Amino acid sequence: MTKKRTGVFVCHCGTNIAATVDVAKVAKEMAGEDTVAFTQEYVYMCSEPGQESVVQAIKDNKLDSVVVTCCSPNLHEKTFRDNAKRAGINNFTCEIANIREQCSWVHNDKAKGTEKAIKISRSVVRRVNRNQPLDSIAVNVTRRAMVIGGGIAGIQAALDIANAGVEVVLVEKQATLGGRMLQLSETFPTLDCSQCVLSPKMVEVNRHPNIKLHTYSDVQELAGSVGNFRVKINKRPTFVDPDKCKICDHCTVVCPVVVPNEYELNLTARRAIYIPYAQAIPASFTLDEEACLGLNPIVCGKCKDVCEPDAINYDMRPETVTEDVGAIVVATGFDLYDQANMPELGGGQIEDVLDGLQFERLCSASGATKGHVLRPSDHTEPKNVVFIQCVGSRDPAKHCAYCSKICCMYTAKHAQLYKHHVPDGRAYVFYIDIRSGGKGYEEFVQRTMEDDDTLYLRGRVSKLYRHNGKVRVMGTDTLTGQNVEIDADMVVLALAMVPSKGTAEIAKTLKVGRDNDGFMAEAHPKLKPVESVTGGIFLAGAAQAPKDIPETVAQAGAAAAKVIALLSQTTLNRPPLIAKVRRSHCTGCGMCVEACPFIAIRLEGGKAVVNEALCEGCGSCSATCLRAAIDVKNVTQLQIHEMIEACLA
Amino acid sequence: MINLQDIRDTARDMLAKGEVRAVIGYRRGSRGMLAEPAFITDPAQADELVWDPTCFHNLSLYLVEDRKFLAHLRKTANAPIAIVAKGCDARSIVVLMQEHYFKREDVYIIGVSCEGSGVVDERKLAPRLNGIQATNAAFDGDDFVFTTAEGEKRIPACEVMADRCLECRNPFPKEHNLAFGEDKTGRKLAEPFAALTRFEAQGAGQRWDSWSRHFDRCIRCFACRSVCPMCYCDECVVDSITFPVTAETTADEKANRIKWIERSATRSENITYLMTRAMHLAGRCTDCGECERACPVNVPIRMLNNKMEREAREKFGFEPGASIGGPSLVATFLDTDPGDFIR
Repeated sequence: MTKKRTGVFVCHCGTNIAATVDVAKVAKEMAGEDTVAFTQEYVYMCSEPGQESVVQAIKDNKLDSVVVTCCSPNLHEKTFRDNAKRAGINNFTCEIANIREQCSWVHNDKAKGTEKAIKISRSVVRRVNRNQPLDSIAVNVTRRAMVIGGGIAGIQAALDIANAGVEVVLVEKQATLGGRMLQLSETFPTLDCSQCVLSPKMVEVNRHPNIKLHTYSDVQELAGSVGNFRVKINKRPTFVDPDKCKICDHCTVVCPVVVPNEYELNLTARRAIYIPYAQAIPASFTLDEEACLGLNPIVCGKCKDVCEPDAINYDMRPETVTEDVGAIVVATGFDLYDQANMPELGGGQIEDVLDGLQFERLCSASGATKGHVLRPSDHTEPKNVVFIQCVGSRDPAKHCAYCSKICCMYTAKHAQLYKHHVPDGRAYVFYIDIRSGGKGYEEFVQRTMEDDDTLYLRGRVSKLYRHNGKVRVMGTDTLTGQNVEIDADMVVLALAMVPSKGTAEIAKTLKVGRDNDGFMAEAHPKLKPVESVTGGIFLAGAAQAPKDIPETVAQAGAAAAKVIALLSQTTLNRPPLIAKVRRSHCTGCGMCVEACPFIAIRLEGGKAVVNEALCEGCGSCSATCLRAAIDVKNVTQLQIHEMIEACLA
Repeated sequence: MINLQDIRDTARDMLAKGEVRAVIGYRRGSRGMLAEPAFITDPAQADELVWDPTCFHNLSLYLVEDRKFLAHLRKTANAPIAIVAKGCDARSIVVLMQEHYFKREDVYIIGVSCEGSGVVDERKLAPRLNGIQATNAAFDGDDFVFTTAEGEKRIPACEVMADRCLECRNPFPKEHNLAFGEDKTGRKLAEPFAALTRFEAQGAGQRWDSWSRHFDRCIRCFACRSVCPMCYCDECVVDSITFPVTAETTADEKANRIKWIERSATRSENITYLMTRAMHLAGRCTDCGECERACPVNVPIRMLNNKMEREAREKFGFEPGASIGGPSLVATFLDTDPGDFIR
């Protein structure tokens, strides 16, 4: 092996690095390395003149490899690798030594900072010494997309992608599209009817030639990677043929089974065979397998008897569908924090203490009370209603540390809606502070306070209990410093938003990371807010973080744009930093096969074989192998070994 | 009680019918009463087989050797090989099958029960016999009975039994084609990991002192590695000297070998070797105790492996060699895995 000619380029990053690291000393030390033929320092290596100087230095000094000691490779690795290519050398012989995020930013002592920067730089110089020139792997792109979740986020993303001429597979867990938005009565800050604005989009999804809909379905398994995913979907049986069903409602009349209606948040009941609501898409009834007496004509079979179009089929079985797609949008939405976690507020056991979504259904024209605000216990009109904000939110000690963002606004809306329904009623709102950032939001809250005469009390509620047919609210008003006791006819809790049930499972299936609160994690909080950490998988809506409808729609549009951009390419260049098996060392024990999270390794003739299209170069196999028989290219065990040695020297 | 004649008859029968190509078992050794490994291919030799408390070897090592030999000759096996296996040995065989070293149908396991007892530890037995030549050993209830020139000598089994047998939880081979003796699982002579627990009760300083002495003593003869059925790699990662150069070995591979340890047997190099070995046996070691038995300088190697085994059991509920289709410890990740040791 002829000796490498490495160039080391040390960046000051203004004073970001230079304040804590003696950059001149780093350059001088690197010049002493055996394989280093050229060193240079510059105030902003990523600036146009800085980049030009790198290209020029490569050409002038006949360098064959480059180390840039600067910021994180997440930021400028691509910049400098492109420069290397421009200068005529292989771009994978260029590596970044991160002396900013991993050194200057986290240290104060300049002498020690410099020492660490030298060690980091030296370790990367040693690594580059054994880097092989590699070529990117080109893979064809499957020009289809999948959207998981049929709420407003999923619907918007699916429509935007489909309108760009890309085929979309939309997967929804429930029997109908619509998600949470469908359950809302009216939406802030304009008070337009939620269903009325959503249902045209649902109709469009249903009719769209580019959208293939799988409702009552779950994503089961994901294989492949960006550009070429293979997704297995489990379609649960609805036992009703949607093509035959005429929604005549004869079946529900005869069905003897009554269970709580989850679409109405258990405020009403439904039958075992049901349609969530009139405009459901697909327009068909669903037979709830768990509630039904047994899918057996001998046991019951009443619905089948009365079904004129003969749409009911007890022999339907779960079906596994495989879809090949190039990109995925995850829009799995939110649930409300469980009231059972709040024993001081009744834990969900006190009558007439409702959550925000239940109140939406009470106000909704299509809801249980046909748009009349009646309290559930005795169906009378409540004259005193207490709304409590931040229930479960902003409480790092016991509940969720984060702000659920929408509760200030929807509580103001609830108070307005209540006052519109019951003009002589009294509405109280307990709040910590009002967060009404957004176009027209602050004005909306002001209207609630002034025009609709809602009493805002700054303070928290310590206890709720049933008292003389009412709910006694024990709270405090921190502005006057007085305790407040209200005998309310009804209490509405603005519960925290949490990731929807099953988010953990789907995140695991898709290999998408989650944050500390359980929401899907974005790749970068500022610059990649709709990308997940896994390439080709994008995020939309409340699955990523609590957000309101306009933000959700905007994010869904952004995710769609990313998908369209990705799928506009015919081939994708995958980084060639993938695993490679040394056949002579492999004993075929199969531990790497077990360890590989991407199902990219298989045993063939007693030896491990890597599928280049699936390998992501994570190195799990290399770490597991007892025999050092599998290595990731350009991050071999030998390289890691020499890097550690350089750091310890 | 196992009737030795049953084992011999079975071996003879299978060899005569050609059902197996060899029987790996024990026979009376050249050193008095102690048994030694026997490789029987002729039905007439079947009567040489013995089963007694001196059958301490883990014979599954020879299944590995057999495999390597066949590979060297570029031959495939025409019939399975039969092996006499104790509880711990059978678990070793299961791990080897988990790791695809051979298939289940390649092996015929003749399981033997340790009779609710165990095998002897030579080092414990020698002072008890006090230089008297013994010619035979036998299980007898809670005792071992030794035939010597001065008559029969009866010693309570737990006084001369190997430590690992005292702590053994499964003295019966669960995986077998044919088993002799009763399953006496559940007998309790000492708590599992008793020696380790006793050792760990000491302070860190004391523990380091004693391990320093052990590490200093190691001469890196690699007897532990040679006797271990799990140490089957052609190239050991700590041993780049024996890096195999085959027709497939590229120049790149030759250049890219890592020298993990120096050749000299100093403390730091010995630590690297013994620790690496313990890590590589995590979730694979079935505590057959052969490493410690083979060690010429009495390094308590078993304790390192015990430590890993206990961690795996406590943190992940993992039992090495529990079932052929079961997951391997280090290649399996579950959401429920404890993460409290990551700081």
